[in-house]
Amino acid sequence: MPDSTPFADDTATLLHRCAHGDRSAFRMLYDRCGAKLHGVALRITRQASLAADATQEAFVQVWQQAHRFDPERGSADAFLVTLVRYRALDIVRRTSREISGYEGEEQEDESPDALSRLVSSSEGVALKRCLERLETDRRKMVMMAFVDGLSHSDLAQKLSMPLGTVKSAIRRSLLSLRECLAA
Amino acid sequence: MSDPGERDALAAEYALGALDHDEWQEAQRLIARDPAFARAVAVWEQHLAPMAALADPADPPADLWGRIDTATASANDNVVPLRRVRWWQAGTAGALAIAASLAAFIVLRQSEPTHVAVLAPIAGGTAVLLATEAPGGHLTVRPNGTIAVPPGKDLELWALAKGETKPRSLGVLPADGRTLIAPLAPDTQLLVSLEPRGGSSTGQPTGPVVYGGTLARLN
Repeated sequence: MPDSTPFADDTATLLHRCAHGDRSAFRMLYDRCGAKLHGVALRITRQASLAADATQEAFVQVWQQAHRFDPERGSADAFLVTLVRYRALDIVRRTSREISGYEGEEQEDESPDALSRLVSSSEGVALKRCLERLETDRRKMVMMAFVDGLSHSDLAQKLSMPLGTVKSAIRRSLLSLRECLAA
Repeated sequence: MSDPGERDALAAEYALGALDHDEWQEAQRLIARDPAFARAVAVWEQHLAPMAALADPADPPADLWGRIDTATASANDNVVPLRRVRWWQAGTAGALAIAASLAAFIVLRQSEPTHVAVLAPIAGGTAVLLATEAPGGHLTVRPNGTIAVPPGKDLELWALAKGETKPRSLGVLPADGRTLIAPLAPDTQLLVSLEPRGGSSTGQPTGPVVYGGTLARLN
């Protein structure tokens, strides 16, 4: 484990303690990761109340499913991020957001510069390297899908592109990410 | 889904969050019934998760911890359904006999399960669900026939470890079954409760426990 990931270890330890019913560890996990996870939910839902719902549901799931976290299979951060993203995505897919809902403030984090934020973990370093290999437009689509939770048709609408074009661009991007990450 | 390339691409699109509602739901059904697909999704989740660093942290509302604390800690106020399970526990001997007779059949079909539970209606009756656990905590729950779930409701699967008083949620159980990773000890009770759509929001069963069975080791 590289020394750039001390927090990942701590988060994993807290998750492990949660799995054994340790309430104080649960609170510490919330204090440590709450703002990060709420930020992830907020980008996807774009509404504070929906983001709060997603964050709450995610933490309830953390408490119930901490025993399912297996450090052999992945990082604790990824476990938490995955839980909150699916809660947020479920909420927005279910409430089938108004298109006007996307018109909130535009966040310009799709630039290569923003990718420097990824290097806080070894997995992030690999992903950054592979994202940088994508064409700018495709990288932007991948990042908007993940960070903003935009679906194929959301992206087509937002970028005024045919749905099929978006779908094939995303698919080709993911294929090249797979090849790059496996290398 | 037979084409591994196509399956992996769909897994990637699901983990990325790019699927629209219908495909999104289809992928969720696949996760439930296709362990290889579920594994592919898990790999992609790990690959893509670092991108979450691109979202700025945002302080949650001040009352959020209180809500979470209440939802997870006060759940033991809701143990009413469990009392019904207690008296039912005595009736598992018959279920174990069924489990034993099914064992050979299961071993032929699946990846060498080590434990099995037969879930029958709490009110009595024949087996409705069969749960098998294979090494690595691969728990597969399959219906034995068709299960009718009332509109607006979901079934939720729970594990109640021996000696514990509060069950642990294993998530919503689709009527056509599900495979998940949940390492469980022998003698753990598997319970299924009827919950509002999306499952219990309290961390404990809120609706009636409708099916139950105890996980027994296969010899």
